[in-house]
Amino acid sequence: MAAPKGRDDDVRLMAALVTFGVTSMILMAVMLLAPVVKVGPSEGELAPDFSAQAYSGGEWEDFRLSDLFNKSWAPGGDGDWIVVQYIDTDCPYCWSEGEMMSQLHSQWNQEVTFVTVVVELGIQGHDSSREEVEAFRDKTPYDGCITNSNCADRPGNPHSWIYIDDLNTRTSGDWELPGTPFAALLQPDGIVAWNPQQSGNHPEGEEMEGALQRLVGGT
Amino acid sequence: MALDAPLMIFIAGLAIASAGGLKASRTDGEEGTKGMIDSGLVFSVIGLMSSGWTYAIHNSLLDSGESSMCASEGLVQCGSVIGDPEWNNLFGIPWGITGLLSFSLLFFLFLSLRMDMHAKWAESFTSYSLLAGLAGVPFVAFLIFVELTQVEGAPHICPFCTVAHLSLIGFLVAAHALRGRKQSGMWA
Repeated sequence: MAAPKGRDDDVRLMAALVTFGVTSMILMAVMLLAPVVKVGPSEGELAPDFSAQAYSGGEWEDFRLSDLFNKSWAPGGDGDWIVVQYIDTDCPYCWSEGEMMSQLHSQWNQEVTFVTVVVELGIQGHDSSREEVEAFRDKTPYDGCITNSNCADRPGNPHSWIYIDDLNTRTSGDWELPGTPFAALLQPDGIVAWNPQQSGNHPEGEEMEGALQRLVGGT
Repeated sequence: MALDAPLMIFIAGLAIASAGGLKASRTDGEEGTKGMIDSGLVFSVIGLMSSGWTYAIHNSLLDSGESSMCASEGLVQCGSVIGDPEWNNLFGIPWGITGLLSFSLLFFLFLSLRMDMHAKWAESFTSYSLLAGLAGVPFVAFLIFVELTQVEGAPHICPFCTVAHLSLIGFLVAAHALRGRKQSGMWA
């Protein structure tokens, strides 16, 4: 007896169409149940979340950015805004910005939570460590900030806010980090409100201080 | 509880697919082969649906920080697994989407076989199905490792993720059985 013969037409196209239809229906159901949330560093997007070790003067502890978010926040409502600043302790511009950050923090700390994420850029001589991060934040003696300076000489006051260890630059991709220093302002619900890379959306020449005045106000 | 209903449906689907596969393995000829293909198809549909469900949980966790679609506390929960920003994606793509795309491929392969099991390409499609299923095994092993050791507060078990993992294993068993049938002349 001859072996059964297949159909004359090729069913694979029909199978592909059915597969596409089934997958699309499931995706549509998902969208109805829980719409996609756009995540990214651009204004209007939900800030990329991360979990890492954080230093705030004592032991290094677990930290998760989204724990700061108040999802029920509505414009005009209560809730802390969030400044996420990226630095490299060996970057001279980050060193200089230490003073401005001290000033911003002393002026806005009632309304704004500051978070500094420390990365180590892949540049020769940029070699950081947790000891260096601690010394940069606390302004304590340690040779190595901006490659060979003493961290105690950093401009500005000791910083009293959270510093995050991201020395392996794990979060920089999600944040599309253009370089350091970089700082973005988030609404209390975690939506990016101000990104310096989108200057076309802001009044001309606006820096972080202007953004805080315009968006947070009150101080 | 509302959140238990989808899980019960998925578990029922896995049970039906397993029973169907078991019955097919004891049935000779074309009927048994069709039964085995059907079993794999049901496994792939359950995989598709559970992947979609985990993607919905992923979106709702991002949107509101919590999800009514799965528990967020205890050993068996989704919040610490699907909500973990470090482990809930593959190069930025949520695992739910990866699962949807992967199970779509498996579904397509078995659906093609079901629609024309005597086609010239049937033998190669049985091999592709087995290889595609095997390709998913390292990912399942990795995700189980992540659940049990890496996520915040580990160990945790995400039930909907586990349904997707079991769907892949079930599909793999069906694909292996089909290939055996093809090679031993028991196909039809």
